[in-house]
Amino acid sequence: MNCLLFGYGYMGKIRYQVLRNHPDIQRIMIVDPYREPSSLPAEARIIPPDTSIPWDQADVVFVCTPNNVTADLCVQALHRCGHVFCEKPPAKNWEDFCRIADAAQQIPGHTLVFGFNHRLHPSVQAARTLIGEGGVGPILYIKGTYGKSGGSRYRQSWRNQLGISGGGILLDQGIHMLDLFHVFLGPLNLVDAVLTDAFWDCGVEDNAFVLLKSEQGIPAFLHSSATLWKHTFCLEIGCREGYLIATGLLSQTGSYGREQLVIGKRQFEDQAFALGNPREEIIYFDRDESWQKEVDEFLTAVKNQRAPHHGALEDARRVMQLIRDVYALKTPQAGGPHPATAIVASAGGVGKDS
Amino acid sequence: MRLVQLHYSIPLARVKPPEQLLAYRTFCLKTTMQACQGGVHRRTQSPVTGKALEVFGHVEGLTYLCDPENGSLFLAEVPHTSDWASVLRAVNQYRHTPDGGVSSDLEQFREDSVYLPKLTWIQDTLRMQELHRPKVLEIVTPPSEFSSLLRDSGLFAEVITTDEMILCSCDPAIAQNSVQVALLRESLDRVDDPKALLDAVTRSLCEGGLLFVTGLVASGFDMAVLGTQNFYLYPPDRTNCFSLKGLSTFIEQAGFVLLEVSTPGVLDMEIVRSHLQRNPQLPLSRFERQIIHSDEETQLAFQGFLQQWGLSSFARIVARKRT
Repeated sequence: MNCLLFGYGYMGKIRYQVLRNHPDIQRIMIVDPYREPSSLPAEARIIPPDTSIPWDQADVVFVCTPNNVTADLCVQALHRCGHVFCEKPPAKNWEDFCRIADAAQQIPGHTLVFGFNHRLHPSVQAARTLIGEGGVGPILYIKGTYGKSGGSRYRQSWRNQLGISGGGILLDQGIHMLDLFHVFLGPLNLVDAVLTDAFWDCGVEDNAFVLLKSEQGIPAFLHSSATLWKHTFCLEIGCREGYLIATGLLSQTGSYGREQLVIGKRQFEDQAFALGNPREEIIYFDRDESWQKEVDEFLTAVKNQRAPHHGALEDARRVMQLIRDVYALKTPQAGGPHPATAIVASAGGVGKDS
Repeated sequence: MRLVQLHYSIPLARVKPPEQLLAYRTFCLKTTMQACQGGVHRRTQSPVTGKALEVFGHVEGLTYLCDPENGSLFLAEVPHTSDWASVLRAVNQYRHTPDGGVSSDLEQFREDSVYLPKLTWIQDTLRMQELHRPKVLEIVTPPSEFSSLLRDSGLFAEVITTDEMILCSCDPAIAQNSVQVALLRESLDRVDDPKALLDAVTRSLCEGGLLFVTGLVASGFDMAVLGTQNFYLYPPDRTNCFSLKGLSTFIEQAGFVLLEVSTPGVLDMEIVRSHLQRNPQLPLSRFERQIIHSDEETQLAFQGFLQQWGLSSFARIVARKRT
């Protein structure tokens, strides 16, 4: 297969590395008019600016661009190629997402996958297998904390400029945790939310506190933050027979800490040395194959002409609906304007950068 | 690949009390030496690397050799295979007598603290590998207290228990590619030919089948600190004492992909402390003594560190047979 890759920022580079080693990919064409040709990989075919996009030569398309151009590219790619992998978030906002969904509906035999790689992280996959009868039992609640410290160039990043990104930390990073909540609990409804923009004052939320409830009434709580000075990923799943806590993420920088899963089994006084201090087993993971698995799944779905097993349109719809509802319900408090106030600035490239 | 830390402690006196161990150990050494009088074969090459083994030290007059590449230890001279099978059976029978390893009052505690956590480990791993009610081959010196737990667990469609020494010589009752799971609980530590045993197990497993291995490892804290002075190093139970690296390599070379390599041992600190109580003259460094005599919180934290970084002497490995 020949691949057309839009955007060679942080995510584009990650996708490129997986694609260049993939046995099903023969050629990669990169489109990123904002990058110096010398900064692009020599072995790829670089599509120069002001040149027409070689849609007819592409079997699959990867969209790794800032959010403001995602929808246009996805819609065009669906029409011209039919097989599209789109980086998260699925769109800048609900309206853009609906445009993508409408385009997909018009194209029979299309493949559309969105990049929600966290569900393929080893700690999350292990946790999934342990829930239920014979394991830690059914879920009682879920709490997720996912956050980063921002950094000195935080305000300049396109991710925090409303006109380009469409939202703040919730749309950028918290969306992964919302996707994980869906993985474990199925469809969720919004109960309440608090958004603040108290530190970065960018006009988009730098902290989101979101309370949700599953259709079975199981509560879930998300804290998504751009002011966690220590990078944090923590997914806590309380169950009837025990609990699971996934923390840390195997990432390129390792800044989220060693990826691990704590497995605790409920023990009362008759089973434990001390009440409230049960036996725990901690599993440490050393290999993150989530990027590889995600691309494998997309390309296999394309090859076999079947629906994708994860990252499908419906998965994306669920999280985008929640984010739509949160933004409709709450505006950032203490400092920032309403998210609808556009902040226009140059993205400095079409590739998603960290 | 995963590495596991256990967040709890077990008192040594409740699972491996030194007094009872010493009587059992004496019997083991005596039985081994008697068997050696019928003739021995000398092991000169490491089953892991093929390298010439070097002298490591002596335990009650029996020589242990060392793989220079990975630190695995091997008893230098072992009796002939049929005699070795008799030794293993004899010490296992002795273990179940009132004078042997475990007294009846400890049996329940051992079941709760040693066997049930092992069963939970197997159960959780099967879930994580999405293997439902597989057929399992349990490799032991019979009889094994664990067999009934396996059968009663409901985890397996069928439990086949076989004698490790019979399996080594191609047990005709075990068909090739016939089981989805194999359990080697310290068998690789005991047998005279670990390669023959592992090859036999590999043959019996179907492609993609899971291998569970437990054992004591020479690279772990108490083994590394105490060396040949460690009461837990003796034949036949510790005829082979692989290092963690040696054991991992050994299993990979047999055609497996490693899924878990961990050392969730909880007794290293306590084992060294009990040795030091018996013999204050042990040649330990100032730092080792400092750690051993530290407060309980420090000791727990240090034991946790050993677990977390693969440095405890109790090892667990899960591996998948390559397809």
